[in-house]
Amino acid sequence: MVTLNVNGVRREVQAPDDTPLLYVLRNDLQLIGPQFGCGLAQCGACAVLVEGKEVRSCVTPVASVAGQEITTLEGLPARWAKQKGLSADEAKSTLHPVQQAWIEEQTPQCGFCQNGMMIKATELLESNPSPTLAQIKEAFTTSGVSPNLCRCGTYVAIIDAVKHAATIMAKGR
Amino acid sequence: MATGSEKPGNVSGPTLSRRQFVKTGGALVVGFSLVGPRFLKGDTGKPATFKNSLDPTLSSSWVEIHPDNTILIRTGKSDFGQGTTFTAYRQIVADELSVPFEAITTVVAGDTDRTPDGSGAFDFLGRGTPNIRKAAAYTYQAVLDLASEKLGVPKDKLSVKDGIVSGGGKSISYGDLVKNQQLKLTIPVKGDLTSIFGLTIEGNPPMKPVSEYTVIGKSFKNSIIGSKVAAKETWATDVRLPGILHARVVHPKTLGSTLVSAGKVDKTKFPNSQVIVKGNLVGVVAPTEWEAIQAAEQVSGATKWTEWKGLPGNAKLYQHLREEADWTTAPVSKGDANQGDAGPALASAHKKLSATYQLSYMKHAPIGPTMAVADVKPDGTVHIYTHNQNPQALRGEIAMMLGTTPDHVIVHAYPGPGHYGRSNGGNAGAEDEAVILSQAVGKPVRVQWMRVDDMQWSTQSSAAFSDVQLALDEKGKMAAYQIDHYMPAMQDDRPIGAVIAGLPTMPAPQVQSDSVTSTVNGIEDPWVYAQVPNLIERGHGTFQVGQKASPLAVGLRDHSMRTPGQFQQNYPRELAMSEAAALAGADAIQFRIDHAAEERAIGMLQAVRDASAWDTRPSPRPDAASVGSTPVRGRGVSLMLRSGTYWACVCQIAVTPGTGVIVVEKYTIAVDPGIVVNPMQLKRNVEGGALMGIGHALFEEVTFDESGITTEDWISYPIPTMADIPEIKVVLLNNPKVGAYGGGSEAANALAAPAIAAALHDATGKVMRRLPMKPAYVQALLKT
Repeated sequence: MVTLNVNGVRREVQAPDDTPLLYVLRNDLQLIGPQFGCGLAQCGACAVLVEGKEVRSCVTPVASVAGQEITTLEGLPARWAKQKGLSADEAKSTLHPVQQAWIEEQTPQCGFCQNGMMIKATELLESNPSPTLAQIKEAFTTSGVSPNLCRCGTYVAIIDAVKHAATIMAKGR
Repeated sequence: MATGSEKPGNVSGPTLSRRQFVKTGGALVVGFSLVGPRFLKGDTGKPATFKNSLDPTLSSSWVEIHPDNTILIRTGKSDFGQGTTFTAYRQIVADELSVPFEAITTVVAGDTDRTPDGSGAFDFLGRGTPNIRKAAAYTYQAVLDLASEKLGVPKDKLSVKDGIVSGGGKSISYGDLVKNQQLKLTIPVKGDLTSIFGLTIEGNPPMKPVSEYTVIGKSFKNSIIGSKVAAKETWATDVRLPGILHARVVHPKTLGSTLVSAGKVDKTKFPNSQVIVKGNLVGVVAPTEWEAIQAAEQVSGATKWTEWKGLPGNAKLYQHLREEADWTTAPVSKGDANQGDAGPALASAHKKLSATYQLSYMKHAPIGPTMAVADVKPDGTVHIYTHNQNPQALRGEIAMMLGTTPDHVIVHAYPGPGHYGRSNGGNAGAEDEAVILSQAVGKPVRVQWMRVDDMQWSTQSSAAFSDVQLALDEKGKMAAYQIDHYMPAMQDDRPIGAVIAGLPTMPAPQVQSDSVTSTVNGIEDPWVYAQVPNLIERGHGTFQVGQKASPLAVGLRDHSMRTPGQFQQNYPRELAMSEAAALAGADAIQFRIDHAAEERAIGMLQAVRDASAWDTRPSPRPDAASVGSTPVRGRGVSLMLRSGTYWACVCQIAVTPGTGVIVVEKYTIAVDPGIVVNPMQLKRNVEGGALMGIGHALFEEVTFDESGITTEDWISYPIPTMADIPEIKVVLLNNPKVGAYGGGSEAANALAAPAIAAALHDATGKVMRRLPMKPAYVQALLKT
């Protein structure tokens, strides 16, 4: 039995300690934002935030993050609502600015990698509210254990969306 | 394109005159009609379809107008991120029906029991007339007929705006027209539902004149992006059924190994796991995913295979293709544009270029490895839940594998990782394995390939080489151009699990086959330099490398990938054009313009020249350098016509001779698709393809030894990262006078390679005639 703190909710799961967090999230907790891309921490499709840091859930043993604050793509709206002190009603109808920007900039091609891209963008913008182009490129290539990879080539759209998200966040909603 | 001036009854085929429409009673509308046994017994005038299929001859299978004025459309096309089904298709239908974009509230796509037409996820716009457009056009005529009768106003006195038909001082909404009616409108359809090209709606219904478009041309958002971004979309990866088991497949040790003995599960560690063996296919199923992964790894270590060596290894690939492959069995293809007599012109050339160009195998490399869920029911009905570019063709393949008919197979289509053509012939890789395992255990089974399975057991984009000879006259004009393209069969649609298991499949690519799975190498790259007086283009085909020698009949399987065949032909052509310009002492863009005839091709060249601030001069640049640790800069151009769309790009690069590292600094791309349906979506598609193309040009090469593929992950198969992207400029030319909309997605990926290679020549004075232009290869070239 492992006790997790996912998206602000305490969840108890029956899974061997060495089970990668990704399979627990997807199969036991029905949190399907993170995707299986490589199982090797080489692409970022499975990324989640652990204590605000982008982590590759495909190689993270579930027991190693017991009790820590885990945020998945599903938890981004509530994370933003909490940071901004939005009311419960407002929170319900609000997406995280990163998600809003991803829609407004029409970023996905297939969209399979975009979970990790949005997690990485959230990590970046929480520590650097107005990143330069060089800082955005650094965040998505050298800041993590591997670059965040997109096969459809949406990098330009991702950069557009990160900048747009920064603008939304600066406005506060 | 129809202008709308033709007479009703004449234009719409025999099934759509007003009288007949009324007589047959018409169902524009409500509900969707599953094909019943009566249909199956046969009306030979109708196309083949199956139980669990929609009747494609009913317009309501394609377009439903509801009493509340909302509209639903259905298409067999599966969206893989292009967004066409959720944007362009809605825009096209909205304009044909004269309703707002928002009226089309539902798009049903892909599922074999809920959509009418099949075909692959390519050529969505069908050179301007996709099925859905014709279905809407037929429906529009029928609505006018209905309104004419209802209002007592002649059809030609009616007009429609926002779904309200008006005339003679009266008006009625579409919703009111169809309310409480069960109408049946039949439309002419032909084709083969489970083939790669699916069904085609026939006839020539009047279509909305381009000048009257109000919805086409605007940047509507893609509705599925919102649900994907909010984690509200169900992906194929998310499908879970009651009692489902997780599976991993232990693929053979080599591309020709047969099974000696399957390993046994260590029950002390994996008490709930089970090994399934079918022929040479070994699968491991377990109730949890983690147990399945670990048990499969343990079983893999305990499984014994025969050894096999039957591949040349990638270092000897070109030697093998040139000297050992048999190019004599497939008839030689000849280009449609061939003209004149190249022989004498080459013999008497003022200046001549003879060169060979080579391309490596490349992977589709979806960001998520392929997976599928299959549920084989006790009555033999098979349900497959997958991300697939051609669900109807998959249905046919699975039926063949099981020795049943397609009406027993239902494919449910979901979003998944893009795989760029890999499953347009029906299967992506795991679907057949899931079916085999589900049948064996009597439960739903989810097969997920691991990254290494996807790199080593999927198909690849075919390697190729081309021999070019061209002649320049005294004035620097091209007097003759001759190109011979050599490429192994580029499309193997056999499901790999079925092949390994020894179950029935279509044959491996051979000469006598349909157009895409044949070994014949057709000319795929339309010639755009009509002012060259003597032209020979020839295509030479052969079997897939290693396939005949493999006891599994596997070898290096190929499959079309974005711009298939054309990439392999356009790269040598365009690089040779740049070399010819250099040989003539001419500017590479002006040289192309001087040899082109089509206004749209010339327009694209001028557009990239202006947008990239191109400095007109010959290549290489005066201060070109091939040594040193200081980056040198250069620029190159390329041009392509594909699916009715003209494309050109300019790449500006920096290359460091000492390291061989190429950095693309600026990338300018111009696109003339005719009518731009949705500028925002087209721009995003173009950007994506362009960036993928930089990977094709610089990094991507499948490595293999004598036994199998050695590429296994993102380290051994690097693709572009955000650090690799240039400053990119997209120029979209809306060209309504073309009167049609061309394809806007693939092709972008093919443009970079010849432009970057030309830029390398511009910068260094040396020509690299092979892809990819990896640093080590560039470094080696520059040392010569």
